[in-house]
Amino acid sequence: MAQNINPFYSSQSTPNKAKEEKQNVPKDNHAVSKRLQKELLVLMTSTEKSVSAFPDGENLFKWIGTITGPRDTVYVGLTYKLTLEFPHSYPYSAPVVRFATPCFHPNVDSAGNICLDILKDKWSALYDVRTILLSIQSLLGEPNNESPLNPQAAELWPNQTEYKKHLHEEYRKAPSHANQDS
Amino acid sequence: MNIAADMDMAAINAASEQDVLLKIEYAFPILRQKVLSECSDEQFTDILKQINDLKLLGRIEEIVIQSIEYYIRQHVAPDFWSNFSSTTNEQHGFECFKNAVDGLYSSLIEFLPMLKRLEQLVQSKESDGSFYGENNILGQFKLIVKATLLSQLALNHEIIIEHFYRIAFNVFCNTDTSPQDDSIGSHSLCKGCNREIDDCQCQAIVYIFHETNRKLIELELLERLVGNVLTSLINIRIESHVNKACESSFDVSQLTFLENWLETVVMSWLTRIYSGGSSKSPSLSSKTRETINKFKYKLSHFLYETYTRTRIDQLFNIIIEYPESQPAIEDLRVGLERTDLRKTLVESLQDALKTRLLHPGVNTPDILTAYIAAIKALRQLDPTGVLLETVTQPVKQYLRSREDTVRCVVSGLLDDSPSDLADELVKGESLQLEESSVDEEDEDWEKWMPDPVDADPSKSSQRRVSDIISMLVNVYGSQDLFVNEYRTLLADRLLSQLNYHTEREIRHLELLKRRFGENQLHYCEVMLKDVYDSKRIDGNIQSDSSYCVEAHLFPTSALILSAQFWPPFKEEWKLELPKAVQDQLAKYMKAFEALKGNRTLCWKPHLGNVNLEIELKDRKLNMNVTPIHATIIIHFQNKNEWTIDELSEAMHVPATVLRRKITFWVSQGVLKEISSDKFLLQEESATKNRSTAEIVEEEEVESAMASASDQREEELQVFWSYIVGMLTNLDSMPLERIHQMLKMFASQGPGAVECGLPELRHFLDKKVREHQLLFSGGLYKLPKS
Repeated sequence: MAQNINPFYSSQSTPNKAKEEKQNVPKDNHAVSKRLQKELLVLMTSTEKSVSAFPDGENLFKWIGTITGPRDTVYVGLTYKLTLEFPHSYPYSAPVVRFATPCFHPNVDSAGNICLDILKDKWSALYDVRTILLSIQSLLGEPNNESPLNPQAAELWPNQTEYKKHLHEEYRKAPSHANQDS
Repeated sequence: MNIAADMDMAAINAASEQDVLLKIEYAFPILRQKVLSECSDEQFTDILKQINDLKLLGRIEEIVIQSIEYYIRQHVAPDFWSNFSSTTNEQHGFECFKNAVDGLYSSLIEFLPMLKRLEQLVQSKESDGSFYGENNILGQFKLIVKATLLSQLALNHEIIIEHFYRIAFNVFCNTDTSPQDDSIGSHSLCKGCNREIDDCQCQAIVYIFHETNRKLIELELLERLVGNVLTSLINIRIESHVNKACESSFDVSQLTFLENWLETVVMSWLTRIYSGGSSKSPSLSSKTRETINKFKYKLSHFLYETYTRTRIDQLFNIIIEYPESQPAIEDLRVGLERTDLRKTLVESLQDALKTRLLHPGVNTPDILTAYIAAIKALRQLDPTGVLLETVTQPVKQYLRSREDTVRCVVSGLLDDSPSDLADELVKGESLQLEESSVDEEDEDWEKWMPDPVDADPSKSSQRRVSDIISMLVNVYGSQDLFVNEYRTLLADRLLSQLNYHTEREIRHLELLKRRFGENQLHYCEVMLKDVYDSKRIDGNIQSDSSYCVEAHLFPTSALILSAQFWPPFKEEWKLELPKAVQDQLAKYMKAFEALKGNRTLCWKPHLGNVNLEIELKDRKLNMNVTPIHATIIIHFQNKNEWTIDELSEAMHVPATVLRRKITFWVSQGVLKEISSDKFLLQEESATKNRSTAEIVEEEEVESAMASASDQREEELQVFWSYIVGMLTNLDSMPLERIHQMLKMFASQGPGAVECGLPELRHFLDKKVREHQLLFSGGLYKLPKS
């Protein structure tokens, strides 16, 4: 990951600087809004239709994202909603991303937390909402079974037919989807 | 003997009874169905006494009345109605009615002596029994006559009666209103009775008429028999009179004339009918006066209603002629107050607007003119603005669908020749002052007036403050569209002038600023400042020594525009200017860069104006042309013959455009198309006497700007991707929320576009029609893919 070796990243990795940035929050707030505003524009004008996101209500710092299951994976045809919460130090620290729709996946726990390196220690200011969503989308088809948050899913993963059956059962059970389909 | 005597007594009794019966029949021949009695008064007293002795008074009275009733039913009523044979000839009808009434009257007169005797008979009777609720015998008789007559109403009696009264009314109108007219048309027919003047029957008719009426009044039949016919006859007269009054122009108030006419002509006629001849009302009994008054209320209401209806039918024309038709509007206002026709007005005017104004055959400026006239006229008609609001709804909707509405309004505002809109703009300031005073008035609770019942309660506040310009601006619900259109128009005007004179534009801008506010017109201000600055910079460059040192092929001036603030230019292709010109422009640019430091110029070669001097073998031409025309002809300087394709390559201009542009030079006689798409320079003029004044105008002046609707379409497309984005993630949303979200997230930063709520609704509804959106329960959502 070439973009990991960049000034923002290195500056963010030093705890002192991170603290400094946090103190600077009010001053930077406008810049953060601007950045989010710009990301929204990019996202809205992009032709990529499989991922999408939009601010949830008046708060520009809380978004709702939508991804569809990637093709040629067991997730094809399923749609997942996510919440993205941006800290005021964004983009120097990563947003908190969770699945809003319950997702049966080795790297997603029952509360929707996602275990993905770029959202944790490998975050870079060069990532944006679009790349985050695309990464999560590709994570669906390529789970990291080494450190699962959902052991059952990790165990089931090798047996794709059984996995798919279970996945669809879980998906149908999801309350938010029951609403949407009705 | 006794028995015999008894028998005899009985015989005498019987004989006297027989005798009395005969005598009674003699006294009241009606019992034998005869009216006239030969019985003398003495005989009658005698008979009466005998009847009284026999205590038969009540019985006889009953029998006699029944006989009268029978007689009338059998003879009088059929005789009367037999006159009412159906006829279409008015004259004949007149005669019929007259005869009928005469006949009826004379046959009823014959009853009078008998009635008198019956009266005597009843008086000598002690008991005061009443018959049909009438104590008086004459009253009873009239009641019987009325009842019997009406029970046998002839089918076409109204027609005959109408004939009668129509003729009478004609005569009356004629003698009363226009005695002079008679003398003018003396050689022809009398207008009253339609006969030769010498043979005029008017006097006779009037006499017969009054006589007939008098008889009917006496018989108490007038109201019942004639009332309906009279009313409808008068209504027809009123209608035709009103129509005649309304035929003429709208610049005279007709109401007082009409009221006058009703009072003098119609009412005096009625009075005459009801009084049986005299036209003076004091001589009338209070009862007839009351009847006439009732009639008058009815007729005056009918007059108002007819007049108002007629004016409503003409309202569209009245509006078109507005400032001149003010009296008609005033009449209509009064009429509306007295009648219940507001709804009719709204419907009929909307209909007229739709059929006469709101169709593709009408130019937008004409629609606007009519709309403005409607605003003014309806304001006068209904100061609360409720009518205006409801009636013009379709106009607004239609104007919204016209593409050039905004452009027309803006150009109307800036028109130099006097126009409604320009006047309106000029008086902008005073108007705002008025508005503030209106606000104060609103607070005065003593003057508060409720809105009319048909007002939309949700809009009461905005109704009052809107003037004509804001009403036009509100057609779209947002000012931005107008401001943008103005910007485009301003850019066009500045670029077409290409000089540095901006006084007029500044004046306009100041006027507009007063209305739309400084912020909205900031861009335009910068544009004007650009022009002003250009003048200064150009002056500086021209006097710059390093620029002047180099030899110039031709003088050059530039208009320097700030790219950020001008509307986007229409530039599909980049014109390749001749080398010499490019060099010159590069020099100018260098001078500019030297002057302005880190700025540079980016030329717009398709905009501009070139002064050319063309020297041919036999003539010299001097003309102002556009850069593309100049470039074409400069190419012919080096080479006499060019094909379109070659030129297209050299100039980087599409062949189609070139073909259109080159016709200018052909029409000037400078070039000639020797074969298709091949042009040759005409060194010698073919037609020598071609005068330069004969120059063919450039086909059309094209706007250098991208059209407002094109721009808007693009802007809305950006919104659409945002809308798709938010609906993908937030499922379904109501219109207001979408609008709010767009405002928050999509319209920020410089040059941001605003999208009003109505426009957004329009846009979304279009998407729903195109099946790109679903709308249910007030929420928009994306269709499931």
